[in-house]
Amino acid sequence: MHIRVNKEELQSRLSNIQSIVDKKSTMPILGHFLLTVDQSSFITATDLETAIKEPLQIEEIKEGGQLCIPAKKFYEIVREMDGEIELEAEGTDWLKIRTGKSLFRIACMNPDDFPKWPQITDTKTISFSASKLQNMIEKTLYAAGESDTRYTLNSLLFHIKPDEKSFAIVGTDGHRLSLIKEPLNVEGLEETKVIVPRKSASELRRFLLKATRSRETEEEAVEAEATDTTILMHITKNHVVFKTDEIEFLVRLIEGNYPSYEQVIPVANEKKVLVQREDFIKALRRVSIISKDRSNAIKLDLETDRITLTASNPDLGDARDEIDVQYSGEAISLGFNARYLVDALNAMSADTVVFELQEPLSPTLLKEVGIENYICVVMPMRI
Amino acid sequence: MERVILLIDMDAFFASVEQQCNPALRGKPIAVIGGGKRTVVTTASYEARKWGVKTGMNLHEAGQRCPELIVVTGNNDKYTHTCTELKKIYLKYTPLVEIYSIDEAFLDVTASQHLFGGPLKIGERIKREIRSRFGINATVGIGPNKLIAKLAADLSKPDGLRWIKPGEVSEVLEGLPPDELWGIGKRMAAHLKAMGIKTCGELSRMHPGVLRSRFGIVGERLRMMAMGIDETPVVSDPEAEDIRSIGHSMTLPEDIFRISEIDRYLLILSDMVTFRARRYGYAGKTVSVVIRYRSFHTFSVHQKLSLPTSDTHLVYCTTKDMVRSVRLREPVRLLGVSLGCLVRNMPQQSLFSKQNRRRRFLETVDDIRCRYGKGILFWAASLQTETQGGVISPAWRPEGVHRSL
Repeated sequence: MHIRVNKEELQSRLSNIQSIVDKKSTMPILGHFLLTVDQSSFITATDLETAIKEPLQIEEIKEGGQLCIPAKKFYEIVREMDGEIELEAEGTDWLKIRTGKSLFRIACMNPDDFPKWPQITDTKTISFSASKLQNMIEKTLYAAGESDTRYTLNSLLFHIKPDEKSFAIVGTDGHRLSLIKEPLNVEGLEETKVIVPRKSASELRRFLLKATRSRETEEEAVEAEATDTTILMHITKNHVVFKTDEIEFLVRLIEGNYPSYEQVIPVANEKKVLVQREDFIKALRRVSIISKDRSNAIKLDLETDRITLTASNPDLGDARDEIDVQYSGEAISLGFNARYLVDALNAMSADTVVFELQEPLSPTLLKEVGIENYICVVMPMRI
Repeated sequence: MERVILLIDMDAFFASVEQQCNPALRGKPIAVIGGGKRTVVTTASYEARKWGVKTGMNLHEAGQRCPELIVVTGNNDKYTHTCTELKKIYLKYTPLVEIYSIDEAFLDVTASQHLFGGPLKIGERIKREIRSRFGINATVGIGPNKLIAKLAADLSKPDGLRWIKPGEVSEVLEGLPPDELWGIGKRMAAHLKAMGIKTCGELSRMHPGVLRSRFGIVGERLRMMAMGIDETPVVSDPEAEDIRSIGHSMTLPEDIFRISEIDRYLLILSDMVTFRARRYGYAGKTVSVVIRYRSFHTFSVHQKLSLPTSDTHLVYCTTKDMVRSVRLREPVRLLGVSLGCLVRNMPQQSLFSKQNRRRRFLETVDDIRCRYGKGILFWAASLQTETQGGVISPAWRPEGVHRSL
């Protein structure tokens, strides 16, 4: 292999794969990426759960081939170089990197040992807005479990229901749940559930964010609504490939049964409270300082137009706060892990949220005023 | 105000209780052992100690040293009952009673001593009362803190009574080897010896910086100990203590290697640990497993959980995975399970009813056990296991959880 590449092109492609490349893995090859130079040239990186394949634009190909290059070091080198970079392989063991008068020679691994990109056959394909998908992941990922022994909880569920014409993403750790639904019109598809591991979902979110911004300049993107880049999802039994702009993002799915989340969403909670989101977050954060080392336990006393928040810790003392709300039902007291409520409120954006309760120990529901497709369920604590 | 602390230490506690229960054993060399297939001497009576029988010795060796040795299988209920009764005696003299272990208790009599004519009078009265009610001897050590009280008792055993007054502390410590002090072990003493420190007097005169650079924060504490300074309070309420872990370990009836057998013991231990955690309202975030090989090589593995738990099944599954992550190189002699990073159990309700049901199930099991005894219910998987016949751990306490040292 012997090629010339533009530095900016190479650097931006390499930066996309840095978070996927696993530096701490026990398999050294996962700290490498695969560079394939042929009719079309591309870069492949994987951590065995997720993989990314992106095209690389090459200025001049003197000789094709494949090479397995240490991802982090190579990125560091490329960042420090200027102008056009010349890459030349010595067999499959060494890579020479040259610009101007600088020359690097780094050890590579055998490209045949790099994990193979799986055969994607028998796919169902859905096209969806990249920015919407990114937003959906953003709003559900916080609720997913992190190291639960019920491993399917350490993931997000993508649930496609053609009869309802909906596409839902769910995250839950068994104590709280977050669900967002978007309309989706697909023909000839049966109900589909795929379980995406948490880390892959978080990488996917980053990937989608880049994909939606790539068409604008960075500055515009921050302010403007992301343009509607379309993403194609190819779903198979074991994998999902997300594809946009020639970049392929592959996720290995978790096998298993996701808990039947629909049953635990309360539909008839009668006590409805209107709360100012920011005020509620601030009060929760303040009061829970006292109970941080006691599972963030706080007590909410709900009365007409008022919530009183209290926390106590025999080693420290206690705290009390009050917020004004709109409520006219009977008084009720509940215990909560304050973090669960704060996480849920932070994932929302409306000024006012509805907090729906029933019994002190039954599931509670949070949603934004005027928004029906996004809900968070939080289980109380026994106090 | 200078504190006055008493340490009441039962002499050969298990053996004395057994001798008291069975007059035929009085005045004879006896050894109390656990109930398992193979076991070691838990306590030897003073008569047996004269022959060189020591705690921790295996039966074969003990028998060789003392051919007339009478071996008695321990009975935990007798000891715990006696311990609970003893506490009632102590409480007559001060409310500040810390049952430190099954045969040791600290009493803070700073504020109540004048009512009884001084600490020595209290010591005498307690010794007399224990003797008349239970027929066993106790040693009482008195000092300005727990460390010195313990030392006073150790120096005057058996059946002793000694008061090391604040003014005498430095004199007593001057020529004392450091490992005579409570909390300094043989290994630490060897480290100190290598530095040329052979007595507490020498240790107390070391430059703090030298000790700190050699031992870290412990170094500072070592020097304080050698000066006879110890600020730890007598804690009467175990609930208020800084509790770090709840753990159980057991020496297995025989060395085992099969993973399925190890699992059975992990289940029993996890059950014991989580039962106790639930009883006292704690949940732990780290699970540790201690493994001791046949060769006595001992190590532990730890695993952090995402949420604090006191669920038997979850702790059991975690320990199972942990043991599988270790490549066992020898048959296992001892297994231990403990739950650390404890927090007050704040029962977070679960979304999925299965979890809530499991918790209610465990609560019910606990209630039944509390009412009808621990042995009334156990897991079917532990059925084939020889029931634990071991003698109670010396760290047993009448209530509450351990405070690890």
